[in-house]
Amino acid sequence: MGRFILRRVLLAIVTLFLLSLIVFVSAQVLPGDVARNILGPFADQRSVDQLNERLGTDRSIIVQYWDWITGVLTGDMGVSLAFRRPVEDVIGPALVNSAKLALLAFLIVVPLAVIGGVYAALREGSFRDRLISIGGLSATAIPDFVWAVLMILIFALTLGIFPSTATAPPGSNFFEEVWYLILPALCLVFVLFGYIARMARAGTVEALDADYTRTAVIKGLPQRTVVRRHVLRNSLLPTIAVVATQLGYLFGGLVVIELIFNYNGLGQTLVEAAQQKDFPLLQSGILIIGIVYLVATLVADIMYSVLNPRVRLGSEA
Amino acid sequence: MHPKQDQVDAVRARRSELENHLIDEYRAGKIGRREFVRRGALVGMSLPLVTFLATACGVSTEDLEETDKPQTAEPKQGGTIRVGEQEPAGALDPVTVNNLGGLVVLAQTGEFLVTSDPRLRLVPRLAESWKPNADGSVWTFKLRRGVKFHDGKVMDAEDVATTFDRLADPDGGSNALSVFTGVLSKGGTKAVDANTVEFQLDAPNGNFPYLISSDNYNAIILPKTYDGDWEKTFIGTGPWKLDRFRPAEGVDFVPFKEYWDPRGRAITNKNELKFYADEQGLVLGFQGNEFDACVQYSVSGGKALLTDDTVITHELRAASHRQIHMRTDKEPFRDKRVRQAMALLVDRQALVDGLLDTKADYGNDSPFAPVYRSTAELEQRQRDVAKAKELLRAAGKEDGFSVELNTWQGFEMPDLAQLLQQMVREAGIRINLDITDSATYYGEATFGNSRWLDSTMGITEYGHRGVPNVLLGAPLLSDGTWNSAHFKNKRYDQLVADYVAAVDLDAQRRIAKEIQLLLLDEVPIMFTYFYYFLSGSKDYVSGVVTNPMGQMDVSRAGFV
Repeated sequence: MGRFILRRVLLAIVTLFLLSLIVFVSAQVLPGDVARNILGPFADQRSVDQLNERLGTDRSIIVQYWDWITGVLTGDMGVSLAFRRPVEDVIGPALVNSAKLALLAFLIVVPLAVIGGVYAALREGSFRDRLISIGGLSATAIPDFVWAVLMILIFALTLGIFPSTATAPPGSNFFEEVWYLILPALCLVFVLFGYIARMARAGTVEALDADYTRTAVIKGLPQRTVVRRHVLRNSLLPTIAVVATQLGYLFGGLVVIELIFNYNGLGQTLVEAAQQKDFPLLQSGILIIGIVYLVATLVADIMYSVLNPRVRLGSEA
Repeated sequence: MHPKQDQVDAVRARRSELENHLIDEYRAGKIGRREFVRRGALVGMSLPLVTFLATACGVSTEDLEETDKPQTAEPKQGGTIRVGEQEPAGALDPVTVNNLGGLVVLAQTGEFLVTSDPRLRLVPRLAESWKPNADGSVWTFKLRRGVKFHDGKVMDAEDVATTFDRLADPDGGSNALSVFTGVLSKGGTKAVDANTVEFQLDAPNGNFPYLISSDNYNAIILPKTYDGDWEKTFIGTGPWKLDRFRPAEGVDFVPFKEYWDPRGRAITNKNELKFYADEQGLVLGFQGNEFDACVQYSVSGGKALLTDDTVITHELRAASHRQIHMRTDKEPFRDKRVRQAMALLVDRQALVDGLLDTKADYGNDSPFAPVYRSTAELEQRQRDVAKAKELLRAAGKEDGFSVELNTWQGFEMPDLAQLLQQMVREAGIRINLDITDSATYYGEATFGNSRWLDSTMGITEYGHRGVPNVLLGAPLLSDGTWNSAHFKNKRYDQLVADYVAAVDLDAQRRIAKEIQLLLLDEVPIMFTYFYYFLSGSKDYVSGVVTNPMGQMDVSRAGFV
């Protein structure tokens, strides 16, 4: 296991390096000039040139990349070109916000979807199965921005139960912050429920049909024991993989939800960085999301091996 | 003889030739009372003096009614006023800010020498009075005494001179250079004494006070020691001072107890400015009572607010518009008859009614918006398909032509592009749309590197200006840096130079008329509408004042 984790970490470093290169090159081909994007199209060309010089964006791209990557290796992510503050200061609060929302949505949707999927599989073909499967799929098919607007219209503007924004006022306590995050988190639950529940259902149906389950039933084990010991351990494997890949989305892909609920998260921050060609900010943000993805898939792999010892990891196979 | 004639004569004896000319215009009925007050302020007459003269020489019944939408109740002291606005793009630095979100923040703690009010009249602020020399090439401003910065230091003429030198410095990255180029150079501002500042201009300029007023939103007065780290202090002289800045979320302000104007001190205990990155979020937040006043919303994005009984929408006539340029040096628009035909095919009423819900003035193919006092009244160009076809036939384009229209995915511009496409189809003109993001459209914003400046036809957004000087210059002068139509006309260039230099309104109007007629004939750019600036406040709030530039003042706002 130790060797497996070490190998995965080394691979992750190579992946992150390649990712940084790809993002860097992509950022270079984006149209526009950094200072021009910051100062606007109507700014005097002398101001644009002067700002490019001050920001260092008039240097060759290799020098810029080298400066940034060597800085990152020493723990310095550089200075945001647009905000002219250390990248950590811009990205830190956004990352914390994204983590809060992702965690809340995760804590609601994963247990709910897994229970829903397993429950539907155990009652395969019944009305409840169809309700969960079709209902979940329909909820997933509706885009997140539609959910966001609907939730605000119903629960904030019409019923007045929840706030229409996700940003709690300064000085709010933990519970107040959670209260402000419930509507956006519910939007994510609707978007992700159908997908995760479907995976859990499919895995459970497959496990229920497996020989080892039949053997356990023939042995006379109670259904609850069969499900807990034999079905769930196997049926949740694909679900874990799906959940792991959704973590990256929850951290950095919630642009529209963040915009509608006016929530300063990582997704919104990165879109602005891309629009302004704020390379240090964009690059660092994407690296962070990359790390989240890699850590999530690593944890998923480890959970795989714990839940199903038949799955051998790496060179230990 | 008017009972106050002796006093009037005594006043006139001490006034300049220019001021006396203005008084003569007013007495002769050439300008109304409101315009007299506005122009009087421009040439440096104090408000009490100009009001006295307006009454003593009064020939017009035009009222002096103030600008705000009537608020019946007096606001109570205390509470926290919350304002929602577009998130500033980038760092908050008075020298480089170039967007609405940023300029609103600047105007909370910062102040200008002069403020342009909601009706584009100049109101003394940190300057008490001002005066040009005979040809308008030197302007002298007397500063208010006893004004303090938030750090307790007293503001003086050196602070003012340094502020404008910083803004006019070509190496300073200043956003104000687009206003000051050819008007004010670095070193042109001198502190005559502790309370007097003299601006020696590059060329005579009759509208100069506007160029250093709140219209030039970068021009808040900063201490001479300012080193560029504004986000740490938000230093200024205004009624609010920084309490807490939460980047990307908002700013909290508290009243500045040593504010120079006791009648201008904040009514509430706190001013919370909240940033929204998206208009939809802003509108939903306003509907959901997340804040009490909203700096701006568009007609299309803010429809729900326009019909919301709890929201008072403040409509301000402004000069904000979209320019539809046609390359005068390229086919198919080389022949001005083709450009005229295009302009005649546009149904301006349909645009104003349909696209902007009537919240706009009609454009007449020049930058002279109806809101400007120097704008001459000319016959409004209207849709005339038969005449357009006739012009196309005369230009050898009776079968129409194809042309690509470039713009970007912002505001109502894509809708405008589609409507144009439909409107010209009747004459056989096929417009192919190429709508991109703003970075692609503007490119490097230099000739040869920008769709904006290189495309045969394009739609570009222009914000409000208190006077048309900038709009007459960069987009239309032969050497204009924003001349997307590649319009080169020596007579136009000379007329603009004359207009800029003209100090009295009569001359400005006369030249404006010539410019308007020339542009109506040449049509390098179609100006189809000038849309209103919409801002809003909840019905339980009074005293919110916004100008068309977007500077919202909530210092005298409170809850009723």
